[in-house]
Amino acid sequence: MAFNLVPGNEEGVKPSFIIRRKDLDSVVDGLVKDMRVFGVKSRHGKFVYDRINNSGELRLDFDITVMPPSRILLPAKEVLLQFELGTSKQPQPVLESEPFAIIGVHPYDLHAIELIDEAFMATNPDPHYIARRHNAFIIGVDNLNPSLRSFALDMGTHRAEKGFDLLLTDLGDEDYLITVGTEKGMALLKQYNHIRRASAGEVARRNQLLKEAEARYKLHLAISRELIPQLLEDNYENPFWRTRSEACLSCGSCVMVCPTCFCYDVLDEVQLNLKEGARIRQWDGCVLVDFARVASGENFRHDKASRFRHRINRKGRYVQERYGKLGCVGCGRCSIACLAEIASPLEAFNALAEAEKKKPLTGIKLEIRDFEGLHIPQMAQLIRVQQLTPNEKLFDFRFIDGHQLGHQPGQFVEVHVMGIGEAPISVASSPSRGEVFQLGVRSLGNVTTAMHNLKEGAIVGIRGPFGKGFPIPSIEGKDVLMMAGGIGLFPMRSLVQYILDHRRLFGRVILLYGCRSAEARILKDELADWARDPNLELLETIDKSCEGWNGHVGVITTLLPEVKMDITNAVAVVVGPPVLYKVALNELKNMGFKDEQIIVSLERRMKCGVGKCGHCQIEGIYVCQEGPVFTLSQLQKVKEAL
Amino acid sequence: MSIINKEVRRVEIDVHHITRVEGHGNISLKINDGKIEQLLWEVPESPRFFEAMIRGVSWQHVSHIVSRICGICSISHSMASILATEAAFGIQPSKQTQLLRKLLYNAELLESHVLHSMVLVAPDMLGTDSIFPLAETHTDVVLIALRLKKLAYNLAELLAGRKTHPISLVVGGFTKLPDTGELEKMRVKLEHAFVDINTVVEIVRSWKLPNFNRETEYVALKDPVEYAFISGQIASSDTGVTHVENYLEITNEYCVPHSTAKHTRNHRDSYMVGALSRFNLNHKQLHPRARKTAEELGLVAPCYNPFMITVAQVVEIVHALEDSMDIIDQLLKRGIEPEVVEEGKIPFRAGRGVGAVEAPRGILFHDYTYDADGKIKKANCVIPTNQNHANIQKDMEALVPLIMDRGGDVIRHILEILVRAYDPCISCSTH
Amino acid sequence: MKPRVAFFEFTSCEGCQLDSLNIEAEILDLLKAVDIVAFREVKSGSSEDYDIAFVEGSITRESEIARLKEIRERAKILVALGACACLGGVNCLKNSLPMEEALKIVYGRDARYYDTIPARPLHDVVRVDHYVRGCPINTDELLKVIKALLLNKRPEIPNYAVCVECKMANNVCVYERGMTCLGPITRAGCGAICITSGRYCVGCRGLVYEANLESQKDILKKYGLTAEQISEKLNIYDSCAGVKR
Repeated sequence: MAFNLVPGNEEGVKPSFIIRRKDLDSVVDGLVKDMRVFGVKSRHGKFVYDRINNSGELRLDFDITVMPPSRILLPAKEVLLQFELGTSKQPQPVLESEPFAIIGVHPYDLHAIELIDEAFMATNPDPHYIARRHNAFIIGVDNLNPSLRSFALDMGTHRAEKGFDLLLTDLGDEDYLITVGTEKGMALLKQYNHIRRASAGEVARRNQLLKEAEARYKLHLAISRELIPQLLEDNYENPFWRTRSEACLSCGSCVMVCPTCFCYDVLDEVQLNLKEGARIRQWDGCVLVDFARVASGENFRHDKASRFRHRINRKGRYVQERYGKLGCVGCGRCSIACLAEIASPLEAFNALAEAEKKKPLTGIKLEIRDFEGLHIPQMAQLIRVQQLTPNEKLFDFRFIDGHQLGHQPGQFVEVHVMGIGEAPISVASSPSRGEVFQLGVRSLGNVTTAMHNLKEGAIVGIRGPFGKGFPIPSIEGKDVLMMAGGIGLFPMRSLVQYILDHRRLFGRVILLYGCRSAEARILKDELADWARDPNLELLETIDKSCEGWNGHVGVITTLLPEVKMDITNAVAVVVGPPVLYKVALNELKNMGFKDEQIIVSLERRMKCGVGKCGHCQIEGIYVCQEGPVFTLSQLQKVKEAL
Repeated sequence: MSIINKEVRRVEIDVHHITRVEGHGNISLKINDGKIEQLLWEVPESPRFFEAMIRGVSWQHVSHIVSRICGICSISHSMASILATEAAFGIQPSKQTQLLRKLLYNAELLESHVLHSMVLVAPDMLGTDSIFPLAETHTDVVLIALRLKKLAYNLAELLAGRKTHPISLVVGGFTKLPDTGELEKMRVKLEHAFVDINTVVEIVRSWKLPNFNRETEYVALKDPVEYAFISGQIASSDTGVTHVENYLEITNEYCVPHSTAKHTRNHRDSYMVGALSRFNLNHKQLHPRARKTAEELGLVAPCYNPFMITVAQVVEIVHALEDSMDIIDQLLKRGIEPEVVEEGKIPFRAGRGVGAVEAPRGILFHDYTYDADGKIKKANCVIPTNQNHANIQKDMEALVPLIMDRGGDVIRHILEILVRAYDPCISCSTH
Repeated sequence: MKPRVAFFEFTSCEGCQLDSLNIEAEILDLLKAVDIVAFREVKSGSSEDYDIAFVEGSITRESEIARLKEIRERAKILVALGACACLGGVNCLKNSLPMEEALKIVYGRDARYYDTIPARPLHDVVRVDHYVRGCPINTDELLKVIKALLLNKRPEIPNYAVCVECKMANNVCVYERGMTCLGPITRAGCGAICITSGRYCVGCRGLVYEANLESQKDILKKYGLTAEQISEKLNIYDSCAGVKR
């Protein structure tokens, strides 16, 4: 991701030049001839970024724009891939290839772009963003005329010393100071004659003007910004979230205008001939109603208060913890855009301000991963389909080029049925079972229903494997108590198979399986095998009695009294619907299991699989990255999880 | 009832919801022993009561609502509504607004006439039931029709945001203006469209239309300067010129039990409005190219054959295209003034105003009375097609005796194409 | 076998059906993908054997109820086309008057010849499977629904407010331009076209899921509207009680 920066001199001062306004106009007009140029224009008395055709349209004296320039780097809608339905052809990525310029980026927006760079280029690097970013030429401009809603000063984003190719400062008298940020910026200046080196006095004038501008910031934080993350953590249950969000319309304006927001949705679109299709990425936001809703209808943030709380926490805490960069740059756009007048993070922080204590940031360790199959679906063929129940099927897949999925038990893949979309499915087989991997699927939403209509031989795209699987090293050598509810048995099966394939490495192996009814039992044949297998102790139950069932009746926790085991060297693994966690975890703790001995697999709405689109967030955690498997000790402080 | 043709024993025709017209209309014919026992053009369309529903509505919402009277001529309704409101409030639109409105109007005319001639009427001339089978047998023709419609949509979108139920067309002017670059591009497209238009003229030239003439009264707007679409006063072939505000003297609406749409009459039992009326009254003001097209197509004023209405529409298509290019040239020469309308600055007041435009199907009146708060106290709309219903009835009464002996199927077919020739907009006429 | 598609209309301006034909190159693909067996405005001859029925218009007469129920019987899938069918549309504005009064205002002494009942959307009479909203519809959304039906997929229609699309379109907010707008409580899918054209949203696509009406009313009041003005604004498209989605 190297941008060739221009080093400062011994005092850290970057090369600076002076240009007259009319000569600056010539530079802009020259750029317009060479490439697309986005600049700040006046519209209806406000300011927006838009294509400019000549320097006359450019306004550098603006206070704030409606939409941030980061939204040019991440456009509202972009085509990620193009594909052909019904073939096994690898989808083709669509990448930006033409250079363009953005003129008029304020310092707080430069800081915001640094965050977007970190999010999209460091971990799971996004090829579309990278191509666009490398084609961008950024000309910043110092903000001497801050918006009335801006608190960039207190956020430390009122000035920026990097992140631009060139930075302009209006010194007055038709003179602009140009600070050079990169070699690319330097190369542009070399094409023009009408600039001269800036004197030390002129460079000092910039600092003086910036200092004078500080007095124009009218809004201030009530506490120092380093204390905001702790403040938010301590106030997670504060009734403030509910009262403040009463008037929220969930209209999405606050997230749409935010320079540090980048959550997105991914959809498939097709042509009417049903032959060509494309995968589209478009803006999404955590305050929108369906953001955390899964196909079964469960919505993990179904009320305004939880969505509002999440957004403020993301701006003030989670982003900082994950990326080490500010989640809110204090631009003020959201408070301008919010009709209900509740959006301002400043107002939220100040409202919660109280005596603070310092706390080291927990620091989530980022893993840099990049491999084929991360962003581009790999073609796999459906080898076999087994109908398990009216709503559930087991699919056997194999990659066309024969390579192994190479997953850990507990990981998931994103299955792409072209034209319909992608869905996250846990892998239901162990990696020790060869190049065929199995997926257990309940028909619920568009993609899973489409999967149920697939015939053997059909081709799908597979991305992944994603997420953290079951922590095998911490289970080896121990007794294992597995509790699976409903279709939680599918991901659990990957672990059961793994354990059976490596039986000597484990102590007692107990599997409890609970289901609504006898008909709802999936994997009936397998359960019959396991019932007979001396390597495994299986106990089953169904919630309500029914004809033909001679086994245990009652919720799954009613099986626990029958389990007599020594807890000291044991782990418990629980996988199932949200209600299972609510009842089972307490019982396990009563049995003596400590938080670090209890392992769960959580479901959330997952889309990109690479920790970017934002849908699977539980507070600051991305389920697709840090999960879906967690120990309870990891979730101790995460109140939203269970 | 007199015996017309003894040879014809018995004919019964019952066309329920005639196809390929806008809205719902029925034709019923009973002939017994050579006598016409019943011949009725019925309109069973469900009334929507626009004139009642806008009472109490504020002026800002009126044109939006009445636009919904019709999905094809929504621009005409919006325009007539706006002119009525501007007349009531004493607002005079700027020259630029007038030019843009004329241009926008041409877009609607183009779309409407292409739809009528190529999609609704052409199948009858080519012996099919719709354009869908033509997509395989005459793909070029279908694509031409859709291309021209798309061009008209694009022109309307450029000026008003959307063709069906325009958005930026408001009292006082426009809420958004095109820029010169977009107008230049559009002009090029319009010029290229003549290739397609010429094909349309050729197609229409090949049609064999029935030769049926019945002179009636012809009513249309007449403007001293140009072929009238959105300006001028009311002209009648029988009674001369009447001021738009006195439209009631011409329309004289009355109800008939078999029609939810009202009928009108002036000097005779019925009168005709629409492209043929406009042609008969104003043909001298057509663009030279349009007049030449009329000649090529055998359309000569005065023409009393209602089947030639479609031909008059094609002539108007040529005129509208030329006129559009002229208007764009004028706009480019003047430059676009940044006069975007601000709703809060419109001076509303109590008063009455009448707006009249030539919708594609004929002269359209909107008559509003406002109270001091700018809300509608009373409203009346007279729609082109409801002015044609009586004329359709009279045409049928004159036509059936001439074709009585041709058998039920042929008679039904000819009556249907007679109705279609009028390009009726029936849900509009009932409103 | 190609799905058999039919278009029907009740009380409407037929604008939504007309806009369904505002496709150019796609027409050939469309005719390859489906069989249009009934479309009165454009085609003679019709069939009563169809799989998918697109129905425009609201119900404003007794005689329409039976016909709608018949269509529901015959169609596997029924799609409400346009605001009149989805919500009732502007036809519902007459519902604020007693029917006799509406008849009298328009027809005077001859009112006795005609009949009407309060206007209502299709789902007040029959079960509706899908909605293509808007006044008029967005043709792209209709094509999206058709493609989804062909792929056996639930159409992905936005469940969020017009504000999202307005920001995507880089518009300056209507409230910052001295006017008011129902975008925050109206369902997106139109691309915020009215705002882009210089006007404001009047809610023709219906309320967004769990719309916060109280907050919207407070905001309108804050921006200077009286209770009467707020009511008029909200009622242009929301006059039919019982809007279910």
